[in-house]
Amino acid sequence: MSNNHQERDVYVAIADPTRRTLIRLLAEAEELPLHELTAQFDMGRTAVSKHLAILKDAGLVLARKEGRETRYRLNAAPLKEIQDWVSLYEGFWKERISKLQLLLEENK
Amino acid sequence: MKPDVSLDFKFTSSIEQVWHALTDSDTLAKWIWSNDFQPVVGHKFQFRAEPNEWWDGIVDCEVLVVEEPHKLSYTWTSAGETTTVTWTLAEQSDGTIQLHLDQSGFSEETKARQGAIEGAKYAWTNMGAQLEKVLA
Repeated sequence: MSNNHQERDVYVAIADPTRRTLIRLLAEAEELPLHELTAQFDMGRTAVSKHLAILKDAGLVLARKEGRETRYRLNAAPLKEIQDWVSLYEGFWKERISKLQLLLEENK
Repeated sequence: MKPDVSLDFKFTSSIEQVWHALTDSDTLAKWIWSNDFQPVVGHKFQFRAEPNEWWDGIVDCEVLVVEEPHKLSYTWTSAGETTTVTWTLAEQSDGTIQLHLDQSGFSEETKARQGAIEGAKYAWTNMGAQLEKVLA
């Protein structure tokens, strides 16, 4: 699969558990700054902002600067795309195949 | 109406490696779920995922086609719906492997039903009620 950022779609964005947690956290709050999001994870702010960047690329998250911090907000509209059964399976297979790709890379 | 699932993936591994990943039970367990798959036409097997609130975690399957290393097909029955999953492998001129996945046989009714139904959410278990909330 290509790593081209433009091809990074909503399925890939939500295939990762950390990103699903970010979506959940943002769904429960109106807007959150990076440090509050980072506090929820066992990883540094750089790692968390990388995940947020992927969500942003997929149009799932909106970011705005306020003073020195970036605040994040959920944009749920693209999730509507995955509401039906066929789309859910597409998402499922994309997630599984990326797992398979990692597996094959490891075994090289 | 949306078409059935049709996806293409590209691999840089050999066709034998990709075929092995699709047909070896232990390897399958690493990227789909635990299973008792055997690459034998007519073999009946199950994928067993963690059950959750909406789904018993069982997928009943029967092998339909085994054409090593180019084509593998099996039925996929889960949550009362039977579809057919077909994997097609092709070596490209640049040496990469194209893997095509086709899942067909979804009923019109199923395609039209929204994700709130039981079963359909299994892929996003972790999102659970939150997804519903987000989509509300």
